[in-house]
Amino acid sequence: MTAPRMLLRGLMAAALVLPLALAGCGGDDDSSAGGKTELTFFWWGGEARAKLTQQALDLYTSKHPDVTFKTTWQANQGYFDKLATLTAGSDAPDIFQIDDNYLAEYATRNVTEDLTKYKDSGKLDVTKFPESLWKYGVVNDKLAGLAFGENTQGLVFNKTKLEAAKQELPKTGMSWGDLITWAQKAGTATKIPGTMDPSADYKAFWVWLRQNGKQFYNGSQLGFTKDDVQKWFELWKGARDAKATPTADVIHEGNATDITKQTVVTGKALTSWVWANQMPDIQKNTKDELGVVAYPGDPSAQWARASMYFSVYRGGKHKDAAVDVINFLANDPEAGKILGTDRGLPSNLDIRTQVAATTTDPAMKASIALEDELLKKFGPSPSVPPKGHSKVKTELIKAAEAAQFATLTPDKAAEQFFSAAQAAVSG
Amino acid sequence: MSVTTRPAQPRPQSGPAAHQRRGRPARHRDDGRAGYLFLSPWLLGLALVTAIPMLVSLYLSFTNYDILSEWSDIKWVGLANYRTMFTDDPAFWHAVKVTLVFALIATPLKLGAALGVALLLNKSFRGAGVFRGLFYLPSLLGGSVAVAMIWRSIFDRTGALNAFLGWFGIEGKAWVNDPSTALGTLILLAIWQFGAPMVIFLAGLKQVPTELYEAAEVDGAGAFRKFLSVTLPMLSPVIFFNLVLETIHGFQGFTSAFVLSGGTGGPVDSTLMYTLQLYLKGFGQFEMGYASAMAWVFLLTIGLVTAVLFRTGRFWVHYSDGDD
Repeated sequence: MTAPRMLLRGLMAAALVLPLALAGCGGDDDSSAGGKTELTFFWWGGEARAKLTQQALDLYTSKHPDVTFKTTWQANQGYFDKLATLTAGSDAPDIFQIDDNYLAEYATRNVTEDLTKYKDSGKLDVTKFPESLWKYGVVNDKLAGLAFGENTQGLVFNKTKLEAAKQELPKTGMSWGDLITWAQKAGTATKIPGTMDPSADYKAFWVWLRQNGKQFYNGSQLGFTKDDVQKWFELWKGARDAKATPTADVIHEGNATDITKQTVVTGKALTSWVWANQMPDIQKNTKDELGVVAYPGDPSAQWARASMYFSVYRGGKHKDAAVDVINFLANDPEAGKILGTDRGLPSNLDIRTQVAATTTDPAMKASIALEDELLKKFGPSPSVPPKGHSKVKTELIKAAEAAQFATLTPDKAAEQFFSAAQAAVSG
Repeated sequence: MSVTTRPAQPRPQSGPAAHQRRGRPARHRDDGRAGYLFLSPWLLGLALVTAIPMLVSLYLSFTNYDILSEWSDIKWVGLANYRTMFTDDPAFWHAVKVTLVFALIATPLKLGAALGVALLLNKSFRGAGVFRGLFYLPSLLGGSVAVAMIWRSIFDRTGALNAFLGWFGIEGKAWVNDPSTALGTLILLAIWQFGAPMVIFLAGLKQVPTELYEAAEVDGAGAFRKFLSVTLPMLSPVIFFNLVLETIHGFQGFTSAFVLSGGTGGPVDSTLMYTLQLYLKGFGQFEMGYASAMAWVFLLTIGLVTAVLFRTGRFWVHYSDGDD
């Protein structure tokens, strides 16, 4: 390292560290005093998740009184900004929740601890996991995160409103065309737009691509062409023209806000395109009864996806303890009972069976029923999205909204997205 | 055009005390030391939270720093970030355009509103103080996230504005969620916060000597003529001050754009202000080196604009000693 860089590094460190020191954040001292370990733990989610997670961690502390937790949680929006900032200051949490939008970004930059050795020594037990599920956490031959929960795409619909208007409910296996026709009819009957427009939603586009024999990614390359994007945008332009979807501004609102403000919750459409495990959280935010089915088309295009991961910070001081905690959360029957399906179906199959048998939450039951139904149909899982995926997602929203607001034709919007996405994955 | 200070502000540096100090060099040195000691908290703060981070960001702007990687992985890339910005990044130019539209519309309108209300409030009437307070209130709240949230709910499809329009049978649209009007609502929010320049204008108006108005009246000047020939020239230094401040402010708009668009600059990039794009590059796409380069281009641009304003100020800013 050259001298000026050393100096800069020192100065930067001073600039970062001094305010912390001034504020008296002597966290490290506290955490090792008297054999006690304090682990920092950071996740995104709603209040329900916060309560459950805290209960499970309290259980861990009651069994290991020398380990305590400093937990922080917030909504998904802004979560990754904060995680990035903490990481930049070498102050990332010991354990943090991450999803496949960012796993490759963090893993390729060596922020996450490689958990392979813990897995091999059995300290991190994945023997009860479906193999495809834990392998989801492997990026460049390193186990970057422990898959915590399994989920799949789910189309949530407002059962109460549909039944009140004597409308059919959507069914797994209906074609995209069927759905749009259904939405048009149901929309007229209920006076609420029939379906949210998912053209900005990468996971819906992904399922549709697989049904057409394509993929979203082949390794770190795009698995589709500009024409595919255009067809996708045109499909939904047709739906908009047929008044089967809300107006562009409402769609934008759904795209820009978190799970609790999806169109099916706010009553601005009869459906929302989500992950099946989000059902309970969505259900908590509306009085209407909701149902969930697979996305339209052949359901075998859907796959069992790791809903999220727990990763251990490579720069943390208590990595062994951190690994023990995530192992506990994933494999302890009592912890599994507390956590339920909040983060997706439990990865540990024994616990999954146990939770499915004992849960009383109707929303959780509906989400389990969908996954059970699809379990035999699931197609092969694609690999974890490559670095640049978060940018690709943003670009899809941008282009799809431009088409929705008619500032671009589907053709031009597709062109814009395709070239931006190509740049994002290659850059 | 003479440049002197106003008589109303006595200069503390002049007078017998200053001469005394100059005559006693030993004391002078002690005073300096004590002075620096008293300044040290501020100097320390300046160095640690402003100067050093700025220098670091200048260095980072020539690197591929991505926040997450370790410092040892940082690579020097020379001018590549700057080159990409000017030749190969449509989003950059789009953000420049949005910011220019915002600043060029919001700043003059805000100053106009501030001056107009200041003129009205400059009259003495019952409750003038209360009104001054009320008009100033939005600027106190203006930069806050809460106000942006409220703004969002007012201009939503189901918001207060559309409810109001509904009384007259007009169907409004989702102002903040429509690409054709989203930036407009941001501009409106900026204009609404005219309180700070208004207070400064008010102070300036109080300084205009009444004799000038009386003299103008004797010469037969009407209200408009008085405003044009007395108020404006006498107020020009204050206008200049406000113009410089608000222009810089206009370029820096971030909070409202961030909150109203949910941090995306949407819908369809219509509120993608420069600072927001910088933030998204740095924290969303982990291109902190590039974001640092954007920050420096931004700093230099604002510096340049300010310099140009100062240059033109020579031709229209009228410094006067008032009634001397």
